[in-house]
Amino acid sequence: MIELRNVSTIYEGEQIPTLSQVSLSIGKGEFAAIVGPNGAGKTTLLETINGLLKSTGDISIMGMNLTEQGIEIRKRTGYVPQEFTCDSLTPFLVKDVILMGRFGKIGVLKSPSRADHDIVKKTAHFLSISQLLETPVGKLSGGQLQKVMIARALATEPDILLLDEPFSNLDMKSRADLSEKLSSLNEKGLTIIMVIHDRSAIPLSCRRIITVDAGRIVSDKSLPQVM
Amino acid sequence: MISERLIILAITGAVLTGISCSLVGSFVVRMNLSSLGFAMSHAAFAGAALGLVLSIEPLLISIVFSTGVAVLLGPLAEKAKLPTNVILGVIFSLMISLGLVFLNLIPQTAMTSTALSILWGSILGMTVQNVLRLFVLTVGVVIVFILFFKEFQSIMFSRKLAEASGINTKYYYYLILFLTGITVAFALKLVGGLLVFALMVNPTSSAYQFSYDMKHIIVLSPVIGVICCLVGIIVSFLIDLPTGASIAIVSSSLFALSVVVSPKRRRG
Repeated sequence: MIELRNVSTIYEGEQIPTLSQVSLSIGKGEFAAIVGPNGAGKTTLLETINGLLKSTGDISIMGMNLTEQGIEIRKRTGYVPQEFTCDSLTPFLVKDVILMGRFGKIGVLKSPSRADHDIVKKTAHFLSISQLLETPVGKLSGGQLQKVMIARALATEPDILLLDEPFSNLDMKSRADLSEKLSSLNEKGLTIIMVIHDRSAIPLSCRRIITVDAGRIVSDKSLPQVM
Repeated sequence: MISERLIILAITGAVLTGISCSLVGSFVVRMNLSSLGFAMSHAAFAGAALGLVLSIEPLLISIVFSTGVAVLLGPLAEKAKLPTNVILGVIFSLMISLGLVFLNLIPQTAMTSTALSILWGSILGMTVQNVLRLFVLTVGVVIVFILFFKEFQSIMFSRKLAEASGINTKYYYYLILFLTGITVAFALKLVGGLLVFALMVNPTSSAYQFSYDMKHIIVLSPVIGVICCLVGIIVSFLIDLPTGASIAIVSSSLFALSVVVSPKRRRG
């Protein structure tokens, strides 16, 4: 499903690569967590996988070459960024933001159909945020906005879900709830890769822990071994 | 006495300029591209002045200059390893200086009324050809916004997330910058190079005060733009002000009023 061979990522103007010669293979339907200290390269690894950051080496996702078919790959990948914020005057409603997750899939010169709007409602219902659909995103709390960003990623109906610190703004109840929902999606075959700082928040259904430090994968173990 | 024909041309030109400037302005404001728009408008002014010096169509050279700023900005900032705002500051000062130098090079007389009109705008100089060009531009901008509204909306929310959902944001981003450059050049006739930017930012910034829905803002912004242009022209006729300055004062006042009465800024 996801194959990285000798991948290095270097930020513009930097001398040392943030990610250095990383090789990684993640199978279809796996639920993997990427852990590591601050600045280890966890987010860089996630954004390298979906091609948001340019890298060297070979990356194949769902059998497609990332360099050549990055757009196609991203249409089938849900991505939730770390600590997304927006100002209070942001002129978008929650329903618009969730629908935006489908825009790549809908394609150029086509308008969202009734089916696309139904998926927005269904996703919002799944994450228990239906009551927020008509709310401006700038009015949301950190936790609510986090759920909207997850809903946006899920509205893509992705084959792969990439999450960067998805629990960061959530209270304990919401964490448990989201953890359960992610597990149910994974059981249905969704491949999930999650960057997470707090190891205690890793869902039990997450079978694999990949530890990154100083831009390299320093360990790659299944959850029972770690626990 | 001003002829009826001239008044119709002036009003039509103002309505079209108001619509096109405010539409591209909605993107410029949301994407925090104000500095770029500012540099572009001054580049258009320098281009138009060069056109007058070389006796080449000023509109053509101003389009080349204003879109050239957008195209050159990225590579320049990258090569110089400097923030884009620093590069824009340099470009802005260079363009205004070049514009003034070119104005002084205009054969026969320096600072003729033609030259001054590209600085401050000249609604009375609006010709049928100008209005037809503005009509084509406005229709073009409206069509582009209708066709790609979905993609523009996504980029306006977050360019990174738009890219992550499979939209090739670079094409749309440059398409908007190109449209901005052309619009700035076309609007020179009405508001002039020094103030065209006000017509791009002020009506949209006012519209932002009244809605949380981008679709409403996209409609409201040109309406406010047209009102600013028409009221600005009336004021300029009544108290004999330069058109551009008059429109800029009206649009700035309307923005200040919008901030005061904005329902988005009320507590609770």
